Amino acid sequence: MQSFYIRYRNTQGTLMRILNAASRRALDLPSVQAEPAGHDHQVTLALEVNQKQVGQLYREWHSIADVIKVSSGMEPAAEWTGAHPPVAVVVSEDSRASARA
Amino acid sequence: MLKGADIVLKCLRAEGVELVFGYPGGAIMPLYDALEGSGVRHILTRHEQGAVFAAEGYARVTGEVGVAMATSGPGATNLVTGIADAKMDSVPLVCITGQVRSALIGTDAFQETDVFGVTLSLTKWSRLVRSIDEIPEAIAEGFHWARSGRPGPVVIDIPTDLLKAKKDFSGPAKFTPHARPADAKAEGGFTETDLTEKIVALLQQSSKPVGLVGAGAKLSGAIPELRRLLDDLNIPTFATVHGLGAVPPESPYYLGMVGMHGTRAANMALHETDLLLVFGARLDDRVTGDPTRFAPYAKIVHFEIDPAQLDRVRPCELPVIGNLADTIPAFHDGLRKIPTSRKTAETWGTRLPDFSEWRAVACGDARAELDPRGLAQPTIRFLDELFSRLPQESVVVADVGQHQMWAAQRYRSSSPRGFITSGGLGAMGFALPAAVGVQLAKPGTCVLCVSGDGGFQMNIQELATVHRLGLPVKMVIIDNKYLGMVRQWQQLFYQRNYAETDLSDNPDFVEIAKAYKIHSFRLNEDAMREFPVSTETGDQIDRFLRSPEPELLVFDCAPEANVFPMVPAGAALSEMLLEEEPSQ
Repeated sequence: MQSFYIRYRNTQGTLMRILNAASRRALDLPSVQAEPAGHDHQVTLALEVNQKQVGQLYREWHSIADVIKVSSGMEPAAEWTGAHPPVAVVVSEDSRASARA
Repeated sequence: MLKGADIVLKCLRAEGVELVFGYPGGAIMPLYDALEGSGVRHILTRHEQGAVFAAEGYARVTGEVGVAMATSGPGATNLVTGIADAKMDSVPLVCITGQVRSALIGTDAFQETDVFGVTLSLTKWSRLVRSIDEIPEAIAEGFHWARSGRPGPVVIDIPTDLLKAKKDFSGPAKFTPHARPADAKAEGGFTETDLTEKIVALLQQSSKPVGLVGAGAKLSGAIPELRRLLDDLNIPTFATVHGLGAVPPESPYYLGMVGMHGTRAANMALHETDLLLVFGARLDDRVTGDPTRFAPYAKIVHFEIDPAQLDRVRPCELPVIGNLADTIPAFHDGLRKIPTSRKTAETWGTRLPDFSEWRAVACGDARAELDPRGLAQPTIRFLDELFSRLPQESVVVADVGQHQMWAAQRYRSSSPRGFITSGGLGAMGFALPAAVGVQLAKPGTCVLCVSGDGGFQMNIQELATVHRLGLPVKMVIIDNKYLGMVRQWQQLFYQRNYAETDLSDNPDFVEIAKAYKIHSFRLNEDAMREFPVSTETGDQIDRFLRSPEPELLVFDCAPEANVFPMVPAGAALSEMLLEEEPSQ
């Protein structure tokens, strides 16, 4: 089980889009906790995911209009920082292998 | 004091909107009531799906935001396929839907649908407007998201009471997106030199580099920059269906379309390559085949505006995130400054000795590879005749199915927005209404709508729109009396069990067109057995393409003609079928 922390502006539908990224992959949502966090909101999700799904979810969450930051209990190196434009990123052999699996 | 409907229209004008496509109904009536004198021209289609596809056609050919309008409930749900299509193909689209009045929302009122919820996963951004004060901000923000980054669809749902309400209007709003922490960090991290050096290092290590061009190249407006870069790189290059036209077919390094029905040259080069430069393509399964065996020897450099598209099927070694209009020139400038031993197509010549022969299929007149049994030859010749006689800067709008793939294989133009089709979603019924939108956007341009007999019937009612507006759209139906692509799969993979794909009782399309007061005629395969075609047939096609009126040409196609090459679902690109094999 992996924990994800997504900071977002609490605009219409943003939380639903965040959850939809998981539900469209048929992932169960055993724990969802959304709450105010300073000027914004944060939702904490616990999901059973594989490494490939982690990458997909990070990217999809980050592409949602009012998502501010995505982080998790994963190793920092595997986190998606969403930098643009254009920053070169080298993907580790481990993540490459798991994505191919 | 202005009504909400007037404010909507003023805000649309402020966004540069002159044309909207739609269909009226109860909840959106106040907006229709305000149209006259607003400066916004409304195009009445005969179905909301026609409206949204027409708006897409307009957006795809211009690069501007297309706008569709519909009423609540069924009107709005009829937009859904077009919204999904715009999401898949990165089309800037704003849909404005009427909603039941605010007090009735949530009561299952007449023609109430949760359009916001229904379209949530299909839109880039959406808003159910809660007060008249929100209208200007909602429209400004909606247009921002539709246009920005990777373009996409937006839905703005407005309850009918807000369209009728009045308020002081101080002018359209402006939207400034919030910066994200990551954006600020990235500004300092951008170094063209680092980026270029990394790509050049990969190029120098590579003996078989290739380029793959997708829709992003067109959307970014970076076609001239891309062409200059590719000319300098001089590496084998191919295009996705949405990348067609980005690279001039006469370019000596161009190998045609890649993917499920791509050319043998493109697919084999992609399978063999050790370095793949991707320019604005999603790398979806129709392009990659089996993702675990896609470009198995290659490192990937991915130029892409949308980080969500990276590493979807294969991790890339070097993501280059940003608008291609920025990243391509940055890379090219850097490349010119770094001495490098250029990798050329000649390097590939030793590896692929029949490279030039294959190129003749991709870019020349060779047709045999596309149809070993000969059943499709007349149709392929017919398309070749049509395309070769098209005036400069024409636009081909293809529907979905076999005809779409034949058209994509034979398309030879270097017009970047000259080939329009529903690629990602594969929505049958797209072409005719989309051609309406294209023709309205480009009044002086020859617009050729190529459809199948199945797809044409899905939005056949738009013949009425074509007739009313007198649009000189040239419509072609490739009539094989089957749902041809499904039938082809049934033949190849389901032991010829042609379950529910027989359309042999099709109506007479020529007579149907006449009922809509549109001139129409039929051409059968015999006209294409002689090739080049007879003067009479050639003149007939020329007259058809140059007529100032709308016109329909029905071409009879062999019922069991197939599209080849074909990469079976789940196979690698190198495992193309070149003729009927599995169940023969």
